Amino acid sequence: MKPFNHTNATSVAEIKTALADGKTTLIAGGTDLLGTLKDNILRTYPAAVINLKSVPGLDYIKEKGGVLHIGSATRLADIAADPAVQKKYTALAQAASRVATPHIREMGTIGGNIAQLHRCWYFRKPENRFDCKRKGGSTCFAMSGDNRYHSIFGAEGGCLAVHPSDTAPALIALNAKVVTDRRTIEAEKFFEVKRPGNTVLEPDEIITEIQVPEPPRGYKSAFIKFAFRKSIDFPIVNCAVMVGGKNPRICLNAVAPTPYRATKGEAVIAGKSARKLNKKLAEAAGEAAVAEVKSFPKAAQFKKQIAKTLVKRAILSAAA
Amino acid sequence: MADLTVNGDRKDFKVVGKPNLPGKLSWAVATGVAKFGIDYVVPNMAEAKFMRSPHAHARIKSYNKEKAMAVPGVVDIVTYEDEDVKKFNRPGGLGGAPSPFITDTAHEENGIVGFIAVAENEDICDEALRQLDVEWEILPSVVDIKKGREADAPVIRPEDRGGVRNPFGGGGGGNPPKKGNVSFSNQNQGDVEKGFKEADYIIEYDLNMPTYASASPNPHGSVAWWFDDPYLGRDNIHIEGAVWHASGGKNAVGQLYGLPPEKTVQEGLFQGGKYCDWTLRSSQQITPFLAKRVGRPVRCVNERKDTFDFMVSQRFIHMKVGFKKDGTITAFDDFSIADGGTPGNSFFGTSGDQGYGPYIGTKCKNIRQRMDIVDSNRGLMPFSSQFCPFNWDSVTMAIHAIAEKLGKDPIDIARINLHGPDGQDDTRSVPSFDACIKAGKKMMNWKWHKNGAKKLPDGRLHGAGFRYQMCPRHAMGSDFHAVLELRNGVVHMPIQGPHAGVFSVEGDAMIAAEEIGLKYEDISIDYDPNAMFVSISGGADGLVATGWVMKQCAHKLRQQIFEAAIEEANKPAPMGFGGFGRKMPPNPLKGKKPEDLDLVDGIVVLKSDKSKGVPIKRLTSNVYATFAGHPPAPLWPAKYDLLNTLYCEVAVDPETGEVEVLRYGAAVDSGKVIRRTSLESQLDQVAYFSQGCQLLEDYFYDPKTGVRLNPNFIEYKKIGMLDVTDVNDPELIETRAGNGVYGANGISHSMSNTHLIICAIYNAIGKWVDPPATPDKVLKALGKA
Repeated sequence: MKPFNHTNATSVAEIKTALADGKTTLIAGGTDLLGTLKDNILRTYPAAVINLKSVPGLDYIKEKGGVLHIGSATRLADIAADPAVQKKYTALAQAASRVATPHIREMGTIGGNIAQLHRCWYFRKPENRFDCKRKGGSTCFAMSGDNRYHSIFGAEGGCLAVHPSDTAPALIALNAKVVTDRRTIEAEKFFEVKRPGNTVLEPDEIITEIQVPEPPRGYKSAFIKFAFRKSIDFPIVNCAVMVGGKNPRICLNAVAPTPYRATKGEAVIAGKSARKLNKKLAEAAGEAAVAEVKSFPKAAQFKKQIAKTLVKRAILSAAA
Repeated sequence: MADLTVNGDRKDFKVVGKPNLPGKLSWAVATGVAKFGIDYVVPNMAEAKFMRSPHAHARIKSYNKEKAMAVPGVVDIVTYEDEDVKKFNRPGGLGGAPSPFITDTAHEENGIVGFIAVAENEDICDEALRQLDVEWEILPSVVDIKKGREADAPVIRPEDRGGVRNPFGGGGGGNPPKKGNVSFSNQNQGDVEKGFKEADYIIEYDLNMPTYASASPNPHGSVAWWFDDPYLGRDNIHIEGAVWHASGGKNAVGQLYGLPPEKTVQEGLFQGGKYCDWTLRSSQQITPFLAKRVGRPVRCVNERKDTFDFMVSQRFIHMKVGFKKDGTITAFDDFSIADGGTPGNSFFGTSGDQGYGPYIGTKCKNIRQRMDIVDSNRGLMPFSSQFCPFNWDSVTMAIHAIAEKLGKDPIDIARINLHGPDGQDDTRSVPSFDACIKAGKKMMNWKWHKNGAKKLPDGRLHGAGFRYQMCPRHAMGSDFHAVLELRNGVVHMPIQGPHAGVFSVEGDAMIAAEEIGLKYEDISIDYDPNAMFVSISGGADGLVATGWVMKQCAHKLRQQIFEAAIEEANKPAPMGFGGFGRKMPPNPLKGKKPEDLDLVDGIVVLKSDKSKGVPIKRLTSNVYATFAGHPPAPLWPAKYDLLNTLYCEVAVDPETGEVEVLRYGAAVDSGKVIRRTSLESQLDQVAYFSQGCQLLEDYFYDPKTGVRLNPNFIEYKKIGMLDVTDVNDPELIETRAGNGVYGANGISHSMSNTHLIICAIYNAIGKWVDPPATPDKVLKALGKA
């Protein structure tokens, strides 16, 4: 790993100032960033990193006025273990508990988990071996290469990579908001294909809080992850749902460049109370959720079957 | 056969076979005190790094050494054009010719090529290598061996291998010359066409093996320096990290530099986990060369991504098997396309199976083996792996396919085809096999069903698999040299090491204690890098071979102890000053003969009255015993005296394609259990290997560039502990029929497999799925992807 300067920030303002030079990168848990630096996967390498975790007051979980407030530097392990989150915001607790490994959950933060870079073995190949579109190049190597784990809902910005976050679909299903130092963004609108980022954040914009409204009465949520390994693995597909009323929400991830809100699946179960959500309805919702899957890439089509199964199972799990 | 030598049929075991006796170095490993190769740091040490190719096949056209040398902190840049490195060859892999450490041509992506940077730290090495500004001529590459075999494929290495010859008896002079990228290894026995004519049924199936990665948790590396010594003279090497003694150890490094063994010092004891991979890597061999060049210690360590060598090379096998209505196999026809890999690839990955493969374990004598070995740019298999032979499960698949066709239990198909203990003409059953089957069936509550016939309450499909395999024998090659010494009343076992995780050293100490008549803790295990005795030549099977030598040696020492004890009894040494005037107690051994004596729990006693004796701690004589040799019938046999069986049950989720191993059972005959804890651990270890490779592990390459896409632990799916189904309560059978100590033999090679779970999946869904049976493949087989 190339050397860089490291600063423990004491305030968000200090971080903003540091990021303004364009040569500094923000670090929190560092579980994604350090991997990218060690492997030198990007075109540019930061001269410095500035630590968000040392800023006081960004690590908290509290409920206030029917809204769950989570500081952006809150560790995933704390979210997974929080009784209130487990009870009312079940999908989020379940999602946080399935991220990577216990060690990484003790380091990784909620802010970092939703802001992490995408997964694609071309993008992630060390020493920037494939200078792909997401790095400013002209080619998506996965388009003509080995794309068995890539997007089944088409490319975005010419990129076929998938977004790997486990907590992102849970936040979208729970209708959460992402608060930054300058605005509040609906979780669903937070994700965007950029070069090389994955979010709508400006280079010097900092996530400070996640807000999750308490699910309306009668709604229940659940999260299911399908990965090859039970631990230390990114999802092949994951799915979060909030169901049991007029406006159910279903979100899949690892199937598209950004988290995929399965609105057609939602329509199938809209207006159904949790009690009425049976296997047949859940299956139909699963089928509808994957209706817009593209036929390319062929090698990744197996994810369609898994995605529709996960939608079904997540609905039934939430309704149970 | 059994152990027919001294005490080979011992009945009363006090030490051997006990569980949970402590490992001598367990504390060091568990606490992190143990130093592995990459942990060594010495004063004034420089770091070195090889250039790694970004291309699958490429030649260096130009470079800028001056620019690289100008990077602050750079000590040296070795180039492939330097005269000294041109003259310095590294030994070939098993079956491979020696070759220069660096040349201008890369044969695989991330392969070593062209340059070595030596600098004050690794980051500077990296920067220097970047600043070389290498311009590459990109050459055609082959990473798809089926395409590489085609007539119009680019020929990547035109030189003829001179016909493939298999040191284990396969191939030979009858092979046609190399054509394009393809070398040939063919071996025939009997009359295959006649065998097919005799058959009532003929089935065909494919056994496809992906490439599996070597599982080296400790990246290879070394640190070395030269030193002068008043006793050793000038120019001696001190090297740490090249510790795999079984491959020649420090001799292997010393020989490279033209030095006798005594001029190489290597004190490190700890060898990171590897399996039957006895090949030192370039990073372990080059450091003395670099240290000589720069005049200071040099350390060279591979990165994680550099440690993804092959443990098994890719192979595609098309099988045609003829059999009669009762399940008796009449002909095997094996056509294989095997990855010949990059220069230096081990023959174990290709033709190595043909001389001792699975077919000769059956009564069927009509066997045709044809193999196309395709040169590739995929990578290198340095030596061997846990799977031996690699294609064993071509017969495992056959017995499941025949069973399904005939509606019979695959165990019965195995039994009818397995030849007797003495070879293919022996129609008797093998007692070891029968014992394993009896125990295994009971353990598993084995009830075979036809393919797809059983659904679990949760909707998943149930399948069961079975396999057997002979035990390997690795007491081959040169002799083992055991040494035991009674010194100041304590029995010492000097041993070179290394500690490789299998605790075979402790197994040897248990055998020594058993034979001499001591408690385990009474044996002093003295690790000494200059000791002759090496305890390991391949895990459990190595232990039973070295253990046999240790048994013989211990028996000699015991006799010498008796003689010394009698001598001391007959001629007691005069009492010292402190004892002046005191009367010496009567010595019960006085006037006795060795045959009158026994040694029990460290006391030399009279056989006639075991209450009378002399503790060996009181003996003042120092005695010394050596024994060199190896057990009889050392190599893999055509004879089947010990067999092992494995069973598994799986549940296949038809909606996601996920396979769960519900039970993984082992009924194994190791002949005699030596160190029970180690044996049980080996069973778990091979279950880990076998489940990983059948469920998750594979390499992926970019088809256009030949770049390997997943040499890391995120994308290369080594199985995790939560994913493994342990071998719970294995049935450990002791028929004492092996050739090692007390009739023991190794088990681990015969437990590793590529298709037990695959056969169970076949039983669940009625379709063959190639390993690894990832959900995409299972769903495809089910018509859902």
